[in-house]
Amino acid sequence: MKAFTFVRPRTVDAAVAALAETGGAVHAGGVDLLDRMKEHVDEPSHLVTLLDVPGRDAIALEDDGGVHLGAGVTLAALAENDVVRRFLPSLAEAAGQAASPAIRHRATLGGNLAQRTRCGYFRIASFSCLKRGADACPVRAETGVQETAAVFANEPCASAHPSSLAPVLQSLGAQLGVQGPKGARSVSLAEAWRAPEKGVAGDLALAADELITAIVVPPRTRPQRVGYEEVRQKAAFDWALVSCGVRVELDDDGRVSDASIVLGSVAPTPWVATAAEAALRGKAFGAEPIAAAAKAATQGATPLSGNTYKVRLVEVAVRRALTRALEGAKGGAR
Amino acid sequence: MARRVTYTTGLVGSDERVAQHPQARREITVDVHDDDATPWGVDAKLRVVGTDVPRVDGPAKATGAAKYTYDIQPQGLCFAGLVTSPHAHAEVQAVDVAAALKIPGVLVARAAGGRQVTFPGSIVAVVCAESEEALDDGLRAVVVTYDVKPPAVTVEDAMADGAAQVDRRAPNVPPEDDPRATMRRGDAQGAWDAAEVKVEGTWRTAIQTHSCLEPHGVVVQVMPDGHATIWASTQATSGFAAGPAMSRALGVPAAKIRVLTEHMGGGFGSKFGALEWDVLAAELARETRRPVRMLLSRRLEHLLGGNRPDSIQQMELGGTKDGRFTVLRGDVLGTAGNAAGGAGSNNVMVYGLPNVAMRQRTVRTHTARAAAFRAPRHPQGAFALEGVIDRFAHAAGLDPLEVRKRNDDHPIRRIQWDLAAERIGWAEARGRGGQRKDGPWRFGVGCAAARWSNAGRGAWRVDLKVHADGHVAVMSGVQDIGTGTRTLMAVLVAEELGIGVDRVDVRVGDTDYPPGPGSGGSTTSPSIGPAAREAALHAREGVAAKLAEAWDVPVADIGWKDGHYEAGGRTASFEEAARLVGTGGLAVSGTRRPNYEGPYGETAGVQMAEVAVDVETGVVRVKRVVAVHDAGRLVDTLTARSQVNGGVLQGISFALHEERRLDRAQGDMVNPTFDTYRILGLADTPQIDVLLTSVVSGFNNAGIMGLGEPATVPTAAAVAGAVYDAIGVQVTELPMTPARVLAALEGA
Repeated sequence: MKAFTFVRPRTVDAAVAALAETGGAVHAGGVDLLDRMKEHVDEPSHLVTLLDVPGRDAIALEDDGGVHLGAGVTLAALAENDVVRRFLPSLAEAAGQAASPAIRHRATLGGNLAQRTRCGYFRIASFSCLKRGADACPVRAETGVQETAAVFANEPCASAHPSSLAPVLQSLGAQLGVQGPKGARSVSLAEAWRAPEKGVAGDLALAADELITAIVVPPRTRPQRVGYEEVRQKAAFDWALVSCGVRVELDDDGRVSDASIVLGSVAPTPWVATAAEAALRGKAFGAEPIAAAAKAATQGATPLSGNTYKVRLVEVAVRRALTRALEGAKGGAR
Repeated sequence: MARRVTYTTGLVGSDERVAQHPQARREITVDVHDDDATPWGVDAKLRVVGTDVPRVDGPAKATGAAKYTYDIQPQGLCFAGLVTSPHAHAEVQAVDVAAALKIPGVLVARAAGGRQVTFPGSIVAVVCAESEEALDDGLRAVVVTYDVKPPAVTVEDAMADGAAQVDRRAPNVPPEDDPRATMRRGDAQGAWDAAEVKVEGTWRTAIQTHSCLEPHGVVVQVMPDGHATIWASTQATSGFAAGPAMSRALGVPAAKIRVLTEHMGGGFGSKFGALEWDVLAAELARETRRPVRMLLSRRLEHLLGGNRPDSIQQMELGGTKDGRFTVLRGDVLGTAGNAAGGAGSNNVMVYGLPNVAMRQRTVRTHTARAAAFRAPRHPQGAFALEGVIDRFAHAAGLDPLEVRKRNDDHPIRRIQWDLAAERIGWAEARGRGGQRKDGPWRFGVGCAAARWSNAGRGAWRVDLKVHADGHVAVMSGVQDIGTGTRTLMAVLVAEELGIGVDRVDVRVGDTDYPPGPGSGGSTTSPSIGPAAREAALHAREGVAAKLAEAWDVPVADIGWKDGHYEAGGRTASFEEAARLVGTGGLAVSGTRRPNYEGPYGETAGVQMAEVAVDVETGVVRVKRVVAVHDAGRLVDTLTARSQVNGGVLQGISFALHEERRLDRAQGDMVNPTFDTYRILGLADTPQIDVLLTSVVSGFNNAGIMGLGEPATVPTAAAVAGAVYDAIGVQVTELPMTPARVLAALEGA
């Protein structure tokens, strides 16, 4: 990697100031960032580390029932923490299935959301890549390797967003706490993404001098059921082929009053299965509406010739995630 | 001078199957070299050989005390690296190193390799710097101008009309009637016409890279006194620096070059000889007068470090309704990269096949050349052969295991089929196309066979020094590439001397010791083991001579019984007697003798796998593998089981995950990292039951054969058979990814 200056601020404000001053990159767990630096996909002159900023790994149940997650919480903590396991079980599930134990102890929640696609064309500097400034995405060409590429919104870029936590958090209505030179702001995770553009590597719509401080999952207002499903080729230590986080709100009659179904690894950003959500609303939560919703989740898919199988996985993942939510309801869980 | 010895070879142990299969034991008479140890027969009472002995370098490896090439850091070490072509097919027009040379710490930057680029990863320049950081900057600063041409990346691309020719001296693919490509036995056409059951199909396997944990490379140091030392990650210390290339590069005669491979993190066939980058490192050490380290990055490991060629195997199998094979016909294509040879399949030697017609052709492509990879051609061949046999069994309405047994005459493997079937519970485990299920999961079993021939070779010498404290040092240039060679030698010496393995210090991987065999073809153990045993015998005899003086008896009167010397009622252990060698010690050596004519020249193996297949996602999980292998006489059953475990894991990984994926426009690899080039992990490791059938081969004084390669031959085929049994359709392409499993299910 290219030589860099390591900046060690002790407060968030100092970190933001350092980012603005140096134009450097934010460093927390360094899992994804260092990979990119080693491949020269990123060559920051400065790394502004958050390792010395205290309190970033806080997990707190707030008075209103919401859950505050510091951006520095590790994936291992998310998987093991009692508050997360009890109140955000689908998130704990997704975190526990990610990567390997060693990586889970290093990787942070903020870093997981800010990570870049694992598309080989983006990661290997010798390839051309739209995100790195090329005019076209070589994955889309007939000669491209397409097996793990996006099957939704895959034009002009067919990269798949790798985070398996983002779909879950988005399904839970999470808010992203962001701090920049002008102060703090909060943005819905659902609205935090930007579609791929030529020359833009990041998928989160953050300014270069902004950093994620926290993720807040709002309190539930009605009874709700959550579920998570991930299809992986290997049993562990593998990227999801498809991941899916669901949240289903039920009214007093057990009918679906609201549903949130978000998929990972199928589009350049987390993908909301709008038609599947619509297919559930107003229905008595059960196997038949679940099957219909799973089928509807494939609407609008535009697979490439080399990854049509992923559309089938979308249906299966949505059905299984919703079924888990349903079974969780029977078992009396949140 | 020789003495005639008659003894019993074959299966060790008292299993009743031995009586049922009289060929499982044979008495033989051989003329044993006078200096050689008398061969151990099946009834030899052995104390250490054939037991579980933890590997002698285990603690050093577990604690990090073991030093690998990467760990070697002579004072003043410099770092070398390669600029390689991102293009598969191009001509280098200019290499501009001016900017690189301006970077502080960069010592050398210059063009290297040829002008014609025929694969991505072709070396175009080399840089040497005083720090890894300066090296990285230097590599990035070299500007190469290419005239890029369209490549032929895959076998199909290279065979298409108008494809770019990879080697201007030869077509990309030999003509169909090339006599060198064809192997015939009997009357294949007549047998095909007459066959009662006929099946056919096409099987494909992907390119698998060696993915050694330790990358290729060297640390090279030229001493002021004119000697040179090369620390190399190599499967053959002997010969690494013996050729003219290294001498020329270093400016040092071969006799002054020492090669060291104390510990090694994997080779699998990819690390033979000084390779292009090794020679460049030697040149740089000479140019800079500094020690130089050149180790490939993980990406270059995937690109340049060798690979198992892919295959497209069209197969036809014919036979009788009662399940006897009469004919196999095949047409096989595969690419070994920009080189000829190396691709193909090996699948006509396991089962009785009276009539065969096989055509095998290597297709040149614009990709890096293949290298020998743990049983070259065999796993691919087994996958297609066992696949077409499974299809035959299905067509004939017979049990796949029964069909195999009807066509297998190997006396040991006939026993192994039954051992494996009993252990896995074959009849109960069969899924018969979906009958064993739980939710979306379907379960099934498959089976496959291995053969190997590896009696060892070479007149290698092992030196041994007896010390007065009863410890012995054993020395050979042979390298332990992770397979347990050190431990095997220690066990054989300890057995012969009646001492503990902890009293034997085995020093290997150093060309200052007598040359040892290269580690290829699973021949290391049978090639060096007999020499170690003979050296120990000579030590025992040498100490006996000292004892004879001390006891004042003729040396011929000194007997050796139950690990002790004895004469006239007096006894002494080796350790007690060793005191007599004095402070100078006693130096002896042993030599490997030419192979005797043993009857068990072909080792046998059978593996059975049980899988679960999620028919909704196409995900395959291997639940269990039973692996039954013969490896001649087993010296250390613990390292033998480790070998089989490793072979099985590598085989499952080949079956389900490993695949070099190339962009067909550029030719470069899109998954050159371990997060995208999938390799089997801990969570995917099934229960593996290793059953070892120890067979005294008769070829050498210990009856040893090799095991490294056959252990990985049948695994993928057995897993594929199990998937077929589980879901009722064959997946005919490796790796069996969710995409391919779902495609097979949809096509059914």
